[in-house]
Amino acid sequence: MGILNEISEQLQIGKAKLVKELVQQAVDAGIPAGEILTEGLLAGMSMVGERFKNNEIFVPEVLVAARAMNMGAALLKPLLADAGVKASGRVCIGTVKGDLHDIGKNLVKMMMEGRGLEVVDLGTDVPPERYIAAARDQGCRIICCSALLTTTMGVMADVVKCAEAAGIRDSVKILIGGAPVTDAFCAAIGADRYTPDAATAADAAVSLCRGEGAA
Amino acid sequence: MTGKELLFRTLRHEAVPRAPWVPFAGVHAGALIGADAEQLLTDGDTLVRALLEVNRLYKPDGQPVVFDLQLEAEILGCELVWARDCPPSVASHPLADAPEVPDAGALPTPERGRLPMVLSAMRRMKEAVGETTALYGLLCGPFTLASHLRGNDIFMDMFDDEDYVRELLAFCTACAKRMADLFLGAGMDVIAVVDPLVSQISEQHFEAFLSAPFTELFRYLREDKGAFSSLFVCGNATRSIEVMCRTAPDSISVDENVDILAAKEICDRYNVAIGGNIPLTSIMLHGTQQDNIKYVVDLLARLPEYRNFIVAPGCDMPYAVPVENAIGAAQAALETEAMAEMVKNYVQAEDDTDVELPDYAHLERPLLEVFTLDSATCAACTYMMGAANGAKARYGGSIDVVEYKFTRKENIARCKKMGVQNLPAIYLNGELKFSSIIPSSEELDAAIDGAL
Repeated sequence: MGILNEISEQLQIGKAKLVKELVQQAVDAGIPAGEILTEGLLAGMSMVGERFKNNEIFVPEVLVAARAMNMGAALLKPLLADAGVKASGRVCIGTVKGDLHDIGKNLVKMMMEGRGLEVVDLGTDVPPERYIAAARDQGCRIICCSALLTTTMGVMADVVKCAEAAGIRDSVKILIGGAPVTDAFCAAIGADRYTPDAATAADAAVSLCRGEGAA
Repeated sequence: MTGKELLFRTLRHEAVPRAPWVPFAGVHAGALIGADAEQLLTDGDTLVRALLEVNRLYKPDGQPVVFDLQLEAEILGCELVWARDCPPSVASHPLADAPEVPDAGALPTPERGRLPMVLSAMRRMKEAVGETTALYGLLCGPFTLASHLRGNDIFMDMFDDEDYVRELLAFCTACAKRMADLFLGAGMDVIAVVDPLVSQISEQHFEAFLSAPFTELFRYLREDKGAFSSLFVCGNATRSIEVMCRTAPDSISVDENVDILAAKEICDRYNVAIGGNIPLTSIMLHGTQQDNIKYVVDLLARLPEYRNFIVAPGCDMPYAVPVENAIGAAQAALETEAMAEMVKNYVQAEDDTDVELPDYAHLERPLLEVFTLDSATCAACTYMMGAANGAKARYGGSIDVVEYKFTRKENIARCKKMGVQNLPAIYLNGELKFSSIIPSSEELDAAIDGAL
C-alpha cells in the first residue's frame, strides 16, 4: 500500500515523471493495474478535486496534477484493457456554440477522468447537434455543457431541446456549468443538474452514471 | 463638485459625501443605440455615440471608454472571433507552440490594430464629457495578456519554466505601460489594469509571478505618469485581495464572487479604494429595476463609510442588461437616501389601495402619465419627462400631462395598481407606450395623434 499512497501524494503535487516511475514500480511489483489506478491515481486526483472545491488549490495545480495522472494512466491503459477493467461511465463535454473559453471545460474533464469516467471532449464552440450526435453515436450517458458568457448560456437550452427532439432526452442526463450559470437557470431550461465547480461536476457525473438521479 | 472630482477624491482616499458611480458599460453601450458588439468595437462614430448615451442616461462619475481585453492581443497576433453581443474572443495563441517572448518591436503603437479608432474615441469623449466625467482607459492585465499569447500552457509554465513566465510577464507589463502611455495621451484619467485570470491562481503564485509586475506598473502610473490606477479582477479573488493591495493600485474592482465588505476591510488597511460589485447576471441582467435599486441601496447601507468606495457592476455589463435596471442602479448610487426611502415605501405600499385611477375610458382628452424615479435627479427620467413636456408644448390644451415620482409613497401605490414594472415610463390613456427608452418627438406625437 505504501507505493500507492506515494503515487497519490506525488500526483497531488504534480510530479509527473515521479508518478510515472512509481506506477511502473507498482506494476513491476505485481500490484494489479486496477488497484494502482483506483488507489493510487484516482485517489490522488480525488484529493485534488476536494482541495480545488475548497479553494485550497487553483487551476495551475489541478493542471499539473492531471498531467501526472495522465502519464501514470498511459502506462496502465494496456494492462487495464487486458484485465477487462472498464470506465465507470462515458460522458461527452464541450463549451457551447459561440463560446471559446475552455479552462473550465478542461478542468471538469480532468476531474471526471480523475473519477474514472471516460470523457469525449468535443472542444469549444460546440453546436447543440454535436452534443446529441456524440451522445447517441458514442453511447454517452451524460452531456456536459460549459458556458462562460451570459450571451452563450442560452445555447444550453437549445441542447436540451435538441435532445428532446432527437428522442434521447430520457436516456441522457444534461449537466451544465460556467460562471453565469445558476440552479435557477438549470431549472428554467430543463437541464438535469448545475454544479458550481469542476469537482462537484465530477461527483454529480459519477452519481448520475450510477443511476442515482439528478439530485 | 463634479462627478469627476468626486471620483478623484475617492482615488485620493479622501472623505466624500457619496460613493462615486462607475457603470462598466462596455458592449452594453452598443445596446443603447441598437449597435452590436462588433460595430461598437470597430467603428469610432458608433462607439462615441453609444458612450455619450451611457453618459446621458446613467450619469456616471467615471466611465470606461472601451472594455475589450482583446485589443492588445489582436495587435500581437492573436486571431479574434467576433460576436454580436459580447466582446471578441481570442481564437489562436501565437506562442502556443513555442515558449518565446516577443521583442520590444512588437509593442503596440498608435497606428496598429484598432488603436487609431480607440484613441480617437478617447479624445472625442474627453472633449465631450471630460470636464465632468472621469474617463477610464482599460488595458489587458499582464497575466491575462500572457494567457492570450501563450494559451493555457501558461499555467503549466508556472511549474515547468518559471523564468519563461517571468520574461513573458515582463513583456506584457511593458505592453501595459505602452497602452497606458497612449491612453493617457488621449486624455484618460484612470488606467484600469483588467486581469480577470488573477482569480484562477493562488496568492502564492500571485506573489511569485505577479506582485513585481503589478507593483512596477502601478508605481509607473502614479509616479512617472501622475495618473490614477485601478486593478480589475473577476471571479472569486477573495484570497488575493491582500496581495493585490500590496501592489499599491489606487483602487481595485471586484465582482459578486467576493465578499465586498470583508474585502473593503482589507483594502482600508492598505488605503486602497474598492469598487463593486452589483451582480451582473442575477441582478443586472435577470433582475428587476427594484432588485437593482435595492441591491445598491443595501450595499451602501452596509458600508462603514463612503470613503474609499466606488459603486460599480461586478465587471463588464452584459450586452442585454435592461436599460431600466441600469437606470435603477444609477439612481440608487446617485440619490441613495431618496431611493432607500422609496425601497422602504415600496414594501409598505403593498396594502395601500386608496389611490384612485382615472376613468381612462371616459377621458376628455388624451392623458400622458409619466412615471419617474424622480425627474429632478434621475437623468433618464428627466429626458422622459422632457419628452412629455415637449408634447405638452406642441399640443397645448389638447392633452393632459402628469408626472408621478416614485419617491412619493402614494405614487408607488399607483404604480403597483397600474402594474408599472419599469421607470421611467410613459402611459397614454392608461396604456404603457414607452418604457425606459425615451421616445423621439415623432414617436410620441404619433402615439398621441392615434389617441386624439
